[in-house]
Amino acid sequence: MSSKKTIKSAFESMMFTWGEPLDAKAAADVFNITKEEAIECFKELQEEYQQEGRGIIIRQINQSFQFVTREENADYVRDLCTPAKVKRLSQSALEVLAIVAYKQPVTKGEIEAIRGIRCDRVMDGLMKKDLVCEKGRADTVGRPILYTTTDTFLQNFGFTSIKDLPEIDDVETIVSGKFGEDAEVQGDGFADDQMQMEL
Amino acid sequence: MSYKVKLQSFEGPFDLLVYLIENAQMSIYDIQISQITGQYLAYIKAMEDMNIGVATEFMVLASSLIEIKSKMILPRINESGETVVEEDPRSELVTRLLEYKRFKRAAEILEEKEEAASRIFQKPQEDISIFLEQPDEYLSLDLKQFASAFTAFIERKQKIESVRKHYTRIEREKASTESRIAYIVDKLKQKIGRIFNFSELVPNKKDRYDTVVTFISLLEMAKERVVKVKQKSTYGNIEIAPGERINEGDIKYEQQEDN
Repeated sequence: MSSKKTIKSAFESMMFTWGEPLDAKAAADVFNITKEEAIECFKELQEEYQQEGRGIIIRQINQSFQFVTREENADYVRDLCTPAKVKRLSQSALEVLAIVAYKQPVTKGEIEAIRGIRCDRVMDGLMKKDLVCEKGRADTVGRPILYTTTDTFLQNFGFTSIKDLPEIDDVETIVSGKFGEDAEVQGDGFADDQMQMEL
Repeated sequence: MSYKVKLQSFEGPFDLLVYLIENAQMSIYDIQISQITGQYLAYIKAMEDMNIGVATEFMVLASSLIEIKSKMILPRINESGETVVEEDPRSELVTRLLEYKRFKRAAEILEEKEEAASRIFQKPQEDISIFLEQPDEYLSLDLKQFASAFTAFIERKQKIESVRKHYTRIEREKASTESRIAYIVDKLKQKIGRIFNFSELVPNKKDRYDTVVTFISLLEMAKERVVKVKQKSTYGNIEIAPGERINEGDIKYEQQEDN
């Protein structure tokens, strides 16, 4: 069996060649190790790149890993060249996407109930952008289609997995704009950390 | 003198309602229904005056607002004069508004996350198809094995050449049009009434020469009305049926030149 050092070194080369997020399972198969062992190696690499402050970091998307640039270097990269601008999502698209992300799997009916307006066209747009996809049907009347978010969504919005979404359940903070005592206890610190990290 | 144009577009009826409530600095738990309903309807009226189509969904919420407003005016006393503690008619609306606000906030978070994520660059996957589609085949041989394989190849080649020197290749006599015509007539007579496909009349389908012989024979036969041929489209299948002279024995075909 190959040493951990060899495996990690090989994983770096594989990520470099692959470009797109590299599935941990595929990488594990190369060395005949379990997916969990592979993920452990990837995570150690990720940590090393992070600690050394490298300009390339390793991003995790569900069970896949990918080399990307360090966020802090964005301005330098932009000064060097002009990366293609990605068109931002509209307000309504963001709303629908948020509902899908937090309530998935969800039907169009549920989304429409929350927003009070139809969402067919917005959904089509999100599907075309590969941010949401159909995933089976609900067992309710009419067996409506269920929607979930995709890995592209995680990738484009910088999430590792769906569990990574910041908490929004804290109604009090949203309504009053102040942190009540309850709010602080209810894992608000978590959501706050998340935000600071990304902003 | 300056113009100030501010266009506020709303993503839906709830979006408009939330805006109106916040603008009036009202508590969401204590909405002044009559005031808000008035503003809401005024907005829709203004939209209609500007000839902007208002989605029916806006009307649905307008009617809900009016319903709540009328319920709030009704006295909360029953027939025997007792005050009835009823659920606040606004509570369902409040629940829905809170739910909507939650996701409006979530949408803002996503927007910020998208902005942050756009500062991270990735490389697209390179074209790795050359590695996937045609893997090179490697023969693992040492020099000695390779040399002996090469010698064996040379020897075999020399052997074949020496054989060729002593013998000449003879090809079997190829089919003539006469014999092919006889063959086709035979086939057609065996199953009178059946329509044959061209390919059924070529004994050796892999041989191009054979195909050509059948084709030329059929042309001859068609000319002498021994067969009827039909082709529906260019390059399409050719159908062959017996012609009126199929049973005549001695038909003079034009002599084919030997090739």
